[in-house]
Amino acid sequence: MPESSGPEFVGDVSEEEIVAVDELSDAESVYEDVVPQQKVEIDNKIALERIRDTIKLPSALPWTETLVVTYPETITVDVDDDLNRELAFYKQALHSAQLAKSLAAKHNLPFTRPPDYFAEMVKSDAHMERIRQRLLDEGATIKRSEEKRKEREGKKYGKQVQMEKLQERERSKKDMEERLKGLKRKRKGALDNPQGDDDNFDVAVEDAISDRPAKRAKGAGPGGKKIPRQARDQKFGFGGPRKHSKQNTKSSTDSFDAGSAGRGKAKGGKSAKGAAKRPGKGRRMAARSRS
Amino acid sequence: MASLQKTQKANAAKADAKGKGKRKAEEIVGADEEMQAPAPKKMKNKQRVLLLSSRGITHRMRHLMNDIEALLPHVKKDSKLDSKNNLHLLPELADLNNCNNTLYFEARRHEDLYLWAAKTPNGPSIKMHVQNVHTMDELKMTGNCLKGSRGIVSFDKTFDESEWGRLTKEVFTHIFGVPAQARKAKPFIDHILTFTILDNKIWFRNFQIIEKDPLQPNGPPQTTMIEVGPRFVLTPIRIFEGAFSGATVYSNPEFISPAAVRSALKREKGDKYGKRKTAEVERAERMETRKRDEDELAVSKVFA
Repeated sequence: MPESSGPEFVGDVSEEEIVAVDELSDAESVYEDVVPQQKVEIDNKIALERIRDTIKLPSALPWTETLVVTYPETITVDVDDDLNRELAFYKQALHSAQLAKSLAAKHNLPFTRPPDYFAEMVKSDAHMERIRQRLLDEGATIKRSEEKRKEREGKKYGKQVQMEKLQERERSKKDMEERLKGLKRKRKGALDNPQGDDDNFDVAVEDAISDRPAKRAKGAGPGGKKIPRQARDQKFGFGGPRKHSKQNTKSSTDSFDAGSAGRGKAKGGKSAKGAAKRPGKGRRMAARSRS
Repeated sequence: MASLQKTQKANAAKADAKGKGKRKAEEIVGADEEMQAPAPKKMKNKQRVLLLSSRGITHRMRHLMNDIEALLPHVKKDSKLDSKNNLHLLPELADLNNCNNTLYFEARRHEDLYLWAAKTPNGPSIKMHVQNVHTMDELKMTGNCLKGSRGIVSFDKTFDESEWGRLTKEVFTHIFGVPAQARKAKPFIDHILTFTILDNKIWFRNFQIIEKDPLQPNGPPQTTMIEVGPRFVLTPIRIFEGAFSGATVYSNPEFISPAAVRSALKREKGDKYGKRKTAEVERAERMETRKRDEDELAVSKVFA
């Protein structure tokens, strides 16, 4: 009677755990009460060979009787790596099929099935139709998702381009306006001699419109000293400091000393004390140590 | 492609001529001579396989059996075996059906499948555990092959490296290699069965051989493989000397029965609860031993 497929025991199976002795680490020790049990591994090579000799087919049998081929390479693939494992099996099948084809040609065995040979197949036509339908559906899904993705990307890109174009247009308009305004302001004095400067005016307009103005010597070039925001506000803000200098406000009507005489004295009194804004050495040292 | 057909027709005609023996003048003379000396018998491979299962088989196992029956034309399918304990009936059944091989699918507990491959009169029997069964019905197996066509059987080199591997290869050759004279065998070679030993298990695959017309008109046709199915993994457990009985000549040391695996898992799960409860009891005891007397300045004493 074939035995069960568990390990064979020399003694009784007890409730205690079965631990492999050669797997115990040095730190652990075996209790003295433990019954040593041996798992019997059988590999009776002589008997296996004898049996094989009894059953094997005569070696004079032609290849066409069994159609057995051996793959000459060993497969060393990680079992869990599905892709490479299946690839290895595929390679084995391919190699064996090619080998078999050459052997079949040698033994005059018909190998390739002609396309007009109709006979019952292992899978029914209805089943093959289902398979084909599934493949088509899969292909269609992939295509559809690809198209949708392209559309989405295209929309984003198109929107971007549109925004950029609008901004560009606005910018160039503003630019033009500013240049013309500048030109107008500069040419305010043109009202004095209206005739002589016609050519110059045209040249100046052309210059202003063009992107690259002709090289002219200019005072403070584009790389010169930049006036900070605050200073510029004071100088040009609200029409400049001189715009409101002669307005009648409450403060100006109330003050009787508002005049150049008064201004000179205030200036003189201020300058004596003006330089002492810097804190003394002691305060500076204290601030330095603190920071 | 046309040239291929011509060679095939020529080959078929040659094979026919040999068998039927169109009597020409030379051959009649030859036959007389042959009858005087005993003619060397043409060696033939005669194999028939009995295919059956035990009771308690699931639908997946049943489909696997049907797939094997469709693939191998020299197989005779029989009804279910009633009891799993009287395996000695199997060689008798095989004898009744004129079979010299048996493939017996034993289903245990409605979830484990074991496969016995045996040579029935006195031969060895191999018991294997079947896992990872994918049948031909799965829609990912897109290939198709002729029903009853003889397939190429391809073995890995690892089979020749161990004694039990060589015996298994021999037994599988008899079972899975379709003999040329099988009644339902069809002429062309359509598919290939591959057996590979990987991680001490036997992996089975079945591919359809497709030869497409080459891109260059005079080159060889391109061969591609498409999986037809089924596919499964066999773990050899034991090899017995007799058919379903006899002494063990090989046992696989790495095999752990699936029932043992399941019980080990469940025991691990149960351990968690037991460990937690033990830890709780221990904690209670520890708290008891570490209890100190009430301090003089404790609230209850001061405000008694």
